[in-house]
Order: sequence, then structure tokens, then C-alpha cells
Amino acid sequence: MLRGFYTAASGMISQQRQQEALANNIANANTPGYKADQPTLRAFPELLMRETGSQNIPTKYGLNVPVENPVGPLNTGVYVHEIIPNYDQGDIRETNQPTDLAIVNGVLPDEAGGLFFTVQNETGDVRYTRNGQFTVDGDGFLTTSQGYYVLDEMGNPIQTGGMDFDVTEDGVLQVDGQAIPLDIRYTDNVHALTKEGDGLFAGDAGDVPAGATFSIRQGFLERSNVDAAKTMTQMMEAYRMFETNQRVLKAHDESMDKAVNDIARIT
Amino acid sequence: MSRPMIQAAVTMNQLQQKMDLIGNNLANSQTTGYKSRLAHFSSLLFQHIDNMQETEVNAEGRLTPDGIRVGTGARLAPTMLDLTPGAINETDRSLDTALLTENHLFQIAVTENGITETRYTRDGAFYISPLGDGESVLLTTKDGYPVLGENGPIEFANDFEDITVQPDGQITITRDGVTETIDNLAIVEATRPNILEAVGENIFRLPDIDVLGYDVNDIIQPVALNGEVVKSGALEQSNVDLAEQMTDLLTAQRSYQFNARTISMSDQMSSLINQLR
Repeated sequence: MLRGFYTAASGMISQQRQQEALANNIANANTPGYKADQPTLRAFPELLMRETGSQNIPTKYGLNVPVENPVGPLNTGVYVHEIIPNYDQGDIRETNQPTDLAIVNGVLPDEAGGLFFTVQNETGDVRYTRNGQFTVDGDGFLTTSQGYYVLDEMGNPIQTGGMDFDVTEDGVLQVDGQAIPLDIRYTDNVHALTKEGDGLFAGDAGDVPAGATFSIRQGFLERSNVDAAKTMTQMMEAYRMFETNQRVLKAHDESMDKAVNDIARIT
Repeated sequence: MSRPMIQAAVTMNQLQQKMDLIGNNLANSQTTGYKSRLAHFSSLLFQHIDNMQETEVNAEGRLTPDGIRVGTGARLAPTMLDLTPGAINETDRSLDTALLTENHLFQIAVTENGITETRYTRDGAFYISPLGDGESVLLTTKDGYPVLGENGPIEFANDFEDITVQPDGQITITRDGVTETIDNLAIVEATRPNILEAVGENIFRLPDIDVLGYDVNDIIQPVALNGEVVKSGALEQSNVDLAEQMTDLLTAQRSYQFNARTISMSDQMSSLINQLR
């Protein structure tokens, strides 16, 4: 079997996978706090090719000794190695909804540092989010639009009592004479977080270190950082790469056709 | 293969709903006391895919944890009410009453299935409705719900010449040149406006507050009627911002197109696979 068959097929499969990630970016071009996914491709692990042959040793009866000589490394295809979210700050859009909050990154001490709101998911675990489109539930708790509790610094849900509230720039929610600091977390490596859906990230994040600055804007939302034009271009590129690999696959198929039907044809 | 198609189809459906919502806001841009509704998107579940069996080789040079995570599109988050007050529009009709302060509400009596309940509205276009006995009339909203005064529904004899609503909420009528106060509008302030439930027709109600452990007074408090509380001869306009709604509509339409493009591209990729043989 021709080795290139699967190489071309793997090219098609990885372009499909890439298309999935890009299509999801386009779908989330209007999702507040969404971080665009960027797929990266990588060659399959290298194979060391060896030729097997024989060496004739000139003895009386002639002696053939099998030998193996290295030919060189070969990659037999490509796959989507990683899908890395781009954690760059999204644009800030004014909504005038007092329950909408946006984190505006200031100075972050680490290149891959990131700041997040802390929420509690349905199993009681702590998750992080940049989607500050919050709401107040029927019981007066501050929740995400999916109903997950937004947590304060003590790790408790925030009770607003259904009253109007103010959020200061450093993330303190003021309601009914109480000051409740929102739990803003910092991680020095955002890439260690995993996306879970509903805008939530799982992983570990600690307190905001002294060197990190940020501000919380009430009545604003952080928009998705998906660039629709760029994503569309990437999708077209992925589509054409898919097409190219399909052509290569067809070319291999034609070679196979020759091997199967034309070699040793008796006419 | 169909994953991009499903992502796009799901998202298009949600975008359609967003456009419906915007359409509803636009249709109500002239409705008295209408509060615009808004909704944002939220991403859907991400699926974890093990992209490589040989984890050791795969782990080399990675930034992110093992595997890859592919999303499944976006959905519309629950709609929210924008409670900011609308502009005040002079109408010079004596029964049109506009509330001047945010979170102030008129009380009305709504009877549904034989149960009468106090509900709340900011729509101050009031009417006078005959009671059927040929003598007295009732102050109602445009849907015919009685407006509540401090002594319950505001009922008075129909032989008056003029009726006015004073800035402090007093309702005065003039009979044979004599002006008398019949009642005060029972205006309340919602101290916990986020607890109120919107029931449509610009009307709000209290949820089951016993379950929440609140007393009525925790949520709704009567407003002291002094100074200027209401403006007679004026109505609160809808707070829909047409320019913003149109921009949102255009954005939603373009996103719809982008997702449609995803589907056609995905379809062409399927076609390429079909052409393999």
C-alpha cells in the first residue's frame, strides 16, 4: 500500500478538525468573554526508515548477508496537536446593565497571566470565567446567565437581596450598606486552564499578586475576542488545504489504480 | 464531519431568536412604559477529544493540558429587562401620568381565575371606566385593571366636570366649581427590583415571597407623597434605543451569514469526500 495514502487522509482529517475549531469561533463571535481557539498542527511522530537489503560476500559459494541501512526520518502525516485559546483582552462594550461586569486587565506580571471571576458550578466546584454577564436569581443571589453562583472572597455566593448594587473598580460589590469583595483570581499560566463550556474554565488560580493590576467596570461587558474576518480567512485556507489533500489522495488512488489494473495486464 | 454544521445550525437558531427579540423591542419602541429586553450569548459545552494515542510524544512541547477541546456553538442566555427609565413625553391629556423616579410603580388590581392580586406597572395611561350602575366610574389602566389608591380602587360618581392628577399623586375632581380630593395614587417603590417578575403587558408581580423568606415590605415600600412624584399630562416613553437595536440587528444578521457560510463550506468539504470515489 502506498504510504502517502494515509498521509493525505490525515491532512484531510486535521483540516476538518481545524474547521471545527474555527466554526466554533465564528459561532461564538458574539459571546461575551469568549476566547478564540487557535488550532495548531503538528507532524506525526517521526519514523526512522531503513532499507533492507543484502550484501554479497564473495566467498567460495557466495554468501548473502542481510543488511539494514538507515534511510532517514519520515513523518507519515499530520494531526491537530493542540487547540490553544487566545486569552487576549476582548473589547469592552457599554451595556448600561448594572449586573454586567467586565474585567479590564492592567499590568500582569506574567506573559501568560490571566484574571478571572470565580463561580461555582452545579457540582459545587470552583470554575473561572471572563463572561461577566451576570444576573440576580429569584433568591437574590448574583449568578451567571446559566445560574452558577458568583463567589465572593470567602468562597460564598453573593446575596444582593434583589436590591440595586454598585461595583467599585477594584471589585467590591456594595449593596445595602455591605461591602462584598468579588473573588477575582489570577493564574500565571492561562494555558493550564481547560475550557468546559458555558464560558467556564477549569484549573487552578490563586490570589491576585501584588504586581497585577486590573479594574472592574460595571455596566460593561468584555466582548468575544474572535476576529470574524480573520477566522473566515482561516476557514477558507483550511478548506483549500482540505481540497489539496483530497487531490493528493486522488492522485495516490490513480497510482493504485495503475498498480491494480494495469500492471501485469494480459492483453 | 458534521460537527461544524451542527455548531453553525445551533448558533443560527439562537441568532434567529436574538433577532426575534430585537424585532419585539423595535415593535415596542413606541409602547408607553415598555422596558427593552436584551440577551447576550453564552458558549455551549466543550467536548474533550483525545487527539493522539501516544501521549508521551504528544505531550512534547505542549502549552495546554492533554487532549483537545472542541466547542459546540453558542446559545442565547436568558433575556434580561433593562429597567432604566424612558424619556418623558408631554401629551396634555389629564389622565396620562408619568412616574418621575426609577423603581417607582403604580399598583393595580388584577383578577385572574377569580383571584385578585396586586400587581405593578409603570404605564401611566389611565382611563375612566363606567361601573355599570350608571352613576359611578373607576380609574383603570388601558387594559381595564383598576388603579389602586390609598383606599383601594379609585371609584367616584360620574357627574364631575374635570379630573386632575396632582404632582404629589393626589387625584382631584371638580364638581360644580368645587374641587375635592378623592384619593391619592398608591405609588410604591421597589427596593428589591430584581425580585419582581415580569408577567407581560408591562406588568410586574411579586413572586412567592414566603419561599424566599421576605416580607412584602422588604420588596415594596409605599412612597411618601410629597414633592413631585408624578407628572400629569405626560407619559413615560419606551426605553428602547432604536440606534442600538438596529446595530444589534445588523450584527446578528451578519453573524447569521457567517454561520451559514460555515455550513456551505462544510457541505463542500463533504462533497469533496464524496468525490474521492
